[in-house]
Amino acid sequence: MRISFNWLRRYISFDSTPEDAAQILTSLGLEVEKIEHLGKHLDGFVVGEIFSVEKHPNADKLTVCQVRVEEDSASLTQIVCGAPNVRTGQKVAVGLVGATVPRNQHDASGRPFVLTKVKLRGVESNGMICSEYELGVGDDAQGIMVLESNAVVGKTLAQHLGLDDVVLEIGVTPNRPDCLNHLGVARELSAAINGKLVFPDITAGKESSEKISQFLNVEIVNTADCPRYSAKTIFDVHVAPSPEWMQNLLKAVGVRPINNVVDATNFVMYELGQPLHAFDYQHISGKKIVVRTAANGERFTTLDGKEQKLSPNMLMICDSEKAIAIAGVMGGLNSEISEKTTSVVLESAYFSPLSIRRTSKQLGLSTDASQRFERGIDPNGTIHALNRASALIAELSGGKPLEEVIDNYPNKISSREILLRVSRVNQILGTHLSAEDIQKHLSSIDIHAEDIRTANSSSKTFRCTIPTFRPDLEQEIDLVEEVARLYGYNNIEDKMVSAIDFKSLHVSDATASDIARSWLEANGFHETISNSMIDSSSAELFSQHLVKILNPLSKEMSVMRPSLLPSMLQNVYFNQNHGTKDAHLFEIGRVYQHKSAENSSDVVHGFQEEERLGICLTGRKYARTWFNGDRLADIFDIKGIVESVLFKIPLDKIRFIYYDSSSPLTVQTIGIEINGTYSGYLGKVSSTLLQRFQIENDVYVAEINLSNVKKEERSFRQFSPRSKFPSVLRDLAFIIPKEAFVQELQSEIYKSSGNLLKQVTLFDVYEGKNLPENVKSVAFSLQFVPDEKTLTDSEIDAAIKKIVDALNRKFGAELRRV
Amino acid sequence: MLHDVQQGGIFYFIDSDYCAMTIVQNTLADEIVALRRAAEKRFSELRSVDDLEKFRVEFLARKGSIGELFDKLKTVPNEQKPGLGKQLNELRSFVESLFESLQQKLNPGKKGEEAAIDLTLPGRTVPKGTLHPITQTLNDIVAIFTSMGFAIATGPEIENDYHNFEVLNFPPDHPARDMQDTFFISEKILLRTHTSPVQIRVMEHQQPPIRVIMPGRVYRNEAISARSLSQFHQVEGLYVDRNVTFSELKGTLVTFAREFYGKDIKYKFRPSFFPFTEPSLEMDITCFICSGKGCPMCKRTGWLEVLGAGMVHPNVFRNVGYNPEEVTGFAFGMGIDRTTALRHGIPDLRMLLENDVKFLEQF
Repeated sequence: MRISFNWLRRYISFDSTPEDAAQILTSLGLEVEKIEHLGKHLDGFVVGEIFSVEKHPNADKLTVCQVRVEEDSASLTQIVCGAPNVRTGQKVAVGLVGATVPRNQHDASGRPFVLTKVKLRGVESNGMICSEYELGVGDDAQGIMVLESNAVVGKTLAQHLGLDDVVLEIGVTPNRPDCLNHLGVARELSAAINGKLVFPDITAGKESSEKISQFLNVEIVNTADCPRYSAKTIFDVHVAPSPEWMQNLLKAVGVRPINNVVDATNFVMYELGQPLHAFDYQHISGKKIVVRTAANGERFTTLDGKEQKLSPNMLMICDSEKAIAIAGVMGGLNSEISEKTTSVVLESAYFSPLSIRRTSKQLGLSTDASQRFERGIDPNGTIHALNRASALIAELSGGKPLEEVIDNYPNKISSREILLRVSRVNQILGTHLSAEDIQKHLSSIDIHAEDIRTANSSSKTFRCTIPTFRPDLEQEIDLVEEVARLYGYNNIEDKMVSAIDFKSLHVSDATASDIARSWLEANGFHETISNSMIDSSSAELFSQHLVKILNPLSKEMSVMRPSLLPSMLQNVYFNQNHGTKDAHLFEIGRVYQHKSAENSSDVVHGFQEEERLGICLTGRKYARTWFNGDRLADIFDIKGIVESVLFKIPLDKIRFIYYDSSSPLTVQTIGIEINGTYSGYLGKVSSTLLQRFQIENDVYVAEINLSNVKKEERSFRQFSPRSKFPSVLRDLAFIIPKEAFVQELQSEIYKSSGNLLKQVTLFDVYEGKNLPENVKSVAFSLQFVPDEKTLTDSEIDAAIKKIVDALNRKFGAELRRV
Repeated sequence: MLHDVQQGGIFYFIDSDYCAMTIVQNTLADEIVALRRAAEKRFSELRSVDDLEKFRVEFLARKGSIGELFDKLKTVPNEQKPGLGKQLNELRSFVESLFESLQQKLNPGKKGEEAAIDLTLPGRTVPKGTLHPITQTLNDIVAIFTSMGFAIATGPEIENDYHNFEVLNFPPDHPARDMQDTFFISEKILLRTHTSPVQIRVMEHQQPPIRVIMPGRVYRNEAISARSLSQFHQVEGLYVDRNVTFSELKGTLVTFAREFYGKDIKYKFRPSFFPFTEPSLEMDITCFICSGKGCPMCKRTGWLEVLGAGMVHPNVFRNVGYNPEEVTGFAFGMGIDRTTALRHGIPDLRMLLENDVKFLEQF
């Protein structure tokens, strides 16, 4: 909401600066987001009168002008001018030495420049006569800007152009419709500075005493949506531009002046908050206004020239034949005020906020009027506004209003009464305000608080009468806020909570995701946070149960991700295009699915959210350093990371599932089972998927569901006694068929060796040179740990023989001498 | 001109022309003192490993100055031997410690054996990972509130209209809903626009006293720009008990802000509007980028809006079955992404979701 400081001061005497006003209003909850000094760019420019124009002695295209720039002085300022249209007697815009010309028309970039005293071809020049372009008030750069002949010499140009105003841009919260106008804001300011409001004059000049009923009747069919409809007629109107003062004020708040009738209605809306509409009486058939809802499929052309499709719940203003306005939203083209208009019907109504909001939403048409109606205007202000507007129109257009108004008010809305306990105010705020203080604060915003005697006299209670322009004040707590606001939030003590009971201090357990996060960070991974909303076509690759957004911002953000993989690939793609080919990334975030099947564990029925850990490796595992050669990451890197992370969580019951065939999304895929539940996978992203995301290098990923890992499912490790006897290490290498699995070999080693074998570590895998085609060599380091006594060689040899025999039997493994 | 001067049994010639002092005759005790001074002086002149070796030969070698004094010890009367021997031992260990200290400095490797190693080679570093700056901010905020006794709760991001709006005192078709442009999944299901529905879910499942913070991801259907994202993070707080006051709300927020933004920040509170709190407030702190002078970050106001809060609206209490005459409470909420951008000087919020490694590795 733009509030003009000049306009505001019509209703309150306020001697301090706009900045002071802004600070006060902000502290009351009317946050001033911006202060705009309208004429600031015109500082140093004045209205001047050209006294004489002479040819420049040394230049054909220049003239030497003597210009009067002070109101009560005959002294002249010499300015050299290059404009072709400069003439003696013109009133012009003069930039004095020191002023900054907003735009330089002799410079391609149009940058501002500061005027200095200069000599132009030997002749002194003390300023500049400016064009519209240079002043930034228009685009004409052909010649100087010539002002109206009645312009007052010496006035600042800002004053002359009506720009000597300051606009306070206020972010009015939705609960304060009463502050969407200047009088409302003035009322707040006045409460804070203990000032006195000056109400606008609504006494009309001559009003005709003819009966209005012979000219107009109003019928409200839908009284629920239109509790009140007031109207007035004005005859003999001369439509013309409105006076400068009104145009300036309207322009300052961002309203385009149209003509004296329309401007007067807008002016009153910005003054009092009551939206008004003016109809051309000539175009109202049957001397009748009917307020009814639209017919199904009805069409109507609004003032902006657009045809609107109406629905049956929309409230319309009609005459005896046709619709003439969408109630509270916008008038119709068919009854608009034009230059030919001589008779006007002014509408001042109160419509139900809900009805207007619905209509405005459905039509996608939000106007100054609809915004006020849907927040709630003062239902008891219609007549006042009507009289104010008709007085203005009479004054500006010479029109003659009828004295009588039509006021159809079937459902009277009266002032609300709310009981306010002094004790409650202090209980909520933690203050010790007296009853008198509270009463004083409330009365400063026109809330009458009457002391009512209660049986329990220890606490005073007020019966508060709420003015109808404050629809937001509905119950006691709302009045508590009013008191707090007027007393000043910053005057209330900042008290540390003493009541906090540290016995119940929550000690947060590190969750599985916390542990994974810190382990991955410590091991060189960067955490990412990606958008949960992704492109539907890539999402479809991952799930059939997508959560789709009805009103997405764009196609790229139209569904909720069903997997972290698309986010991770998007991140790899982004980095690849920004010159980063090696990326070790992880993300802990939710994935979303929509399965309507009955599932009692859903918080919101039919929707599942799951927290997952995604890990992604691409490019080199190690960058080249003096101690490490570089090496590309591979499947065993991602597998090892997953093993380590899960071990740290800690989770011990992990099983990898080796698939025969891989999915279309990943190859070399390994399923991950945690505590017997399938919980994710790791693998190499398939080339089809890489192509889809335009990724050049291999990407290795893992995605694990962490929602399943509840605290109680995490392992809690128990102590196991350490042997007092020395352990023995033996290395064994086997030649085995290429297709044999190391994991199976390893478990067979454990199984066949008896309980002395504590650990088997694979330390070498070799195929190629010196070995037949179809075999590979695998070497294990075996650690034997005795429980009761030192082991003898023969005991170990016996154990090893068992192992070698078993492997030979099962896999055809041959012992290879190392 | 030379004078004879006798002083404490020690004879000096004082050369008045040069003022230099020379020891001409001495007892062993005096020689020990003099040698100590000489060693100190020589030590201060040492610059290189070679110098140090010369120093060692001069003083510590078997035929060095200290060795000579030990030889002389044999000639002193027996009754003086223990005292002087002790002094000599002290001298020797003093000079040795000088030698070793410098040896350490000039050659910190193993004594002599591996002197050839270039210790300026870079260490074998492990790759440095990072937590996302949003996570770091969130962790810091959560740590402050958990230390004040707040527990942590989370809730679904796909919410129903009832929890996101209705119970929170946003009636259907109310203009307050315009404050939060919403992504809809269906007519009554939406992406939560704030973390406040988690408040409701907590209150629906437990009785006061309640003290909980609720971090999470939220969504707004707003055009994405340097200053606004359609997906961002919030932390919400809720405290409900008997006689919780607005004054305590302010105190809690001030405590938090001092802890998080710095002890010396200036702050102010101003009235605001949220349907689910009454009275409602917003808290501003002096812009820490321009120290209140006014800059683009604070829209030239010198103030930064850091959080919104208020006393839980009695309608909300009634909606979850609490009696507003029995309990009062406060709630607060703040945006994490904007806070993160502010504290790290990140000029464009969109960078937070790009996941550029060159960006992430800076934090």
